[in-house]
Amino acid sequence: MSGAGELRARQPKAVHSALTVLEEVARCGAGVTAQEVSAGLDMPRATTYRLLNLLVQDEYLVRMPDLRGFALGRKVVELAHLVAPAPPPLAAREVIGRLRSSVRGGVHLVRYEGDRIRIADADPDFPLSDEQRIVRRLDTSAIGRLLLHELAHGGYDWSGLVQRPFRDAEPLIRDVERLGYARQVGEVTPGHGCLVVPIRDDRGGLVAGLSLSAPSERIERPAALLDLLLDGSHQLQPLLV
Amino acid sequence: MTALERAISNPPSVRGLESRSPVDGLQRRSVGFIDVFAQSVSAVAPSAAATTIPLIVTVTAGGATMWSLAIAMLLSLLVATTVNVFAKRIAATGSLYTFVSKGLGTGAAFVTGVALLIGYGFIAMFALAGAGYYLSILLHRFWPGMPSSTGVVSALLVCMAMVCLVVLVRGIHLSTRVTLIVESASVAIILILVGVLLSQLGPTPDWAVLGLDASPEHLAVGSVLAVTAFVGFESSSTLGVEARRPFASIPRSLVWTVVGAGLLFLVTSYSQLAGFAALGEDITATRTPINDLALASGVEWMGLLLDLSVAASFLACAIASITAFSRVVFSMGREGVLPSRLGTTHGRFRTPHVAIITALAIVTPVSVLALLLTGGAWAAMQVLIVVAAAGYITAYVLVCIAAPVFLWRIGELTLWPLLRAVVAGVLLSVALVVYLVVESTGERGVGVWVFLVTMALGITIWAIRHRRRPWLSSTVGVYDETVSADVLGGPSAEHR
Repeated sequence: MSGAGELRARQPKAVHSALTVLEEVARCGAGVTAQEVSAGLDMPRATTYRLLNLLVQDEYLVRMPDLRGFALGRKVVELAHLVAPAPPPLAAREVIGRLRSSVRGGVHLVRYEGDRIRIADADPDFPLSDEQRIVRRLDTSAIGRLLLHELAHGGYDWSGLVQRPFRDAEPLIRDVERLGYARQVGEVTPGHGCLVVPIRDDRGGLVAGLSLSAPSERIERPAALLDLLLDGSHQLQPLLV
Repeated sequence: MTALERAISNPPSVRGLESRSPVDGLQRRSVGFIDVFAQSVSAVAPSAAATTIPLIVTVTAGGATMWSLAIAMLLSLLVATTVNVFAKRIAATGSLYTFVSKGLGTGAAFVTGVALLIGYGFIAMFALAGAGYYLSILLHRFWPGMPSSTGVVSALLVCMAMVCLVVLVRGIHLSTRVTLIVESASVAIILILVGVLLSQLGPTPDWAVLGLDASPEHLAVGSVLAVTAFVGFESSSTLGVEARRPFASIPRSLVWTVVGAGLLFLVTSYSQLAGFAALGEDITATRTPINDLALASGVEWMGLLLDLSVAASFLACAIASITAFSRVVFSMGREGVLPSRLGTTHGRFRTPHVAIITALAIVTPVSVLALLLTGGAWAAMQVLIVVAAAGYITAYVLVCIAAPVFLWRIGELTLWPLLRAVVAGVLLSVALVVYLVVESTGERGVGVWVFLVTMALGITIWAIRHRRRPWLSSTVGVYDETVSADVLGGPSAEHR
């Protein structure tokens, strides 16, 4: 968790206090009162109440129907980028390490949670370009397109998650359907592209993706590369599910 | 792994939440800050007030008009911040009525509800009459032969009511946008006129106008009268369900409305008083000071624009007041205090259409009746504004008492909110008594009696209904409660 820790240490004090209050509400669970938060954190009451009300204004917290208690709001998921996901197990990292040494290009592991993407293990030698855009706009990258296909399959309204008009996004979903994996060329970095093979649980739900980024021509004609990735994904499947 | 990280990666289920809000059916979380702000501003009708309030205050406060206005602004700010104790915590459509129920219980809530409905209802009548009156003046400029009888004003008034009906039923987006545009235009016209007047007066300020040349009693009464120029600022709190980020936008709109309207009143008062002083004339001898100044400054065409802007401001005020009135009635319909038909919403427009139609069906004939009984629009408006102001101030007093009690109940009482509420509550109670006494002996005295009788009637109806339906005590105070889709890990909004 050092990443999140460092980030917090650099924030102004108010943000730090706000995160501390959120942490306390998460620790105590839904229904915790303002007085309990103030006592638990040993923070002055007026300050605590002001922070709680600010967090309610911004919808990170919600008041319970008794008006005394607080619970974490939906918007807290937007703080997820402050919270680094747990690293994959050692065995999985070894599989990814072998893949990285055998192909030229960036190999990344991502996890899918509902409609969200989390970068679980990014290749340190080939950093992801524009991670925010990849995570927020599902039609820009292969990582996102794989999730888009999954959401469309489940009847989820994904129209708010893409940059393109609905009409132009649909062919991308059909492409994934046809190939069984997702690809993208030249949209994030000119001259480069990436392809992502799915890792599914025993009921067929998408849980993770193994991604390779490389120059465009190798993404368009992956041949042996694809077999390497598929092999890697088969090895990872029992380690991640 | 911290508790927050655990909660995000594996959200715990939250018990005790419903999947639907008790005020379900309105266009939830759809209106942005600017529209919320427009609701409060329009209910205050700053441009209409800016043209009349300096005169009304000067008649009483004499040489302390500016001070009276400044004191009234500070007092209104105290009330606004006290109302915000609730607005930061409860998203409701019942405004002060719902807020008081959370602090003082059902009985006090209903007194507040009656007072608030009197405030919104009578200010709507005042505004409709005003719109009709200024439109008739405007038409008279184009067709000098047109009869300026009460009948014409009444006909114009009914037309304006029809406009309100269409705009209000068609959806909250349309009504807030219309009020926003109309009100901005009329404030802009006033500011242009003030700019012209001030530029003619020259750069040296007229210190006599800014002086404090009145007895304490006159200053007090002047301040009370000036408070009536601010009433209505709390009306955006009826949009608690419809506003986006209500706990941020509504408190902000209340404070900004008071500050913005206050500054406008101060600037326009100064320019009017200094303008009349420069002309060597007495402002209290006229009924339309700004028009006279425009005429004296050789910009008579501005008078035409001014009439148009005041008529528009009154129309915006009528729309905003009926919006607020209908949202309070809607709350009462949902609770069973009023017939449940009033708590229904339109399937397509998602507005409380039955409450809106009912509001207009009451407000329109009563304002026409007031016109006929008093014999003219100006006389009717004078009486209607007294009734409305008394209603608002009564509701404000009750909300100031309720705020600290509510904070204590939820365990969040601290020193400053308590002090603010106590100071505002005491000053407003004094103001209310002074206001009723002063007005009851004046020419608008009938307004005081109308207020007292309507209050008594409303409370009696409530008492009878409460005796028949004792369960009302447990239903009063509906608001937009947190639903399961609002919390982390709840079902997403798309699947509701």
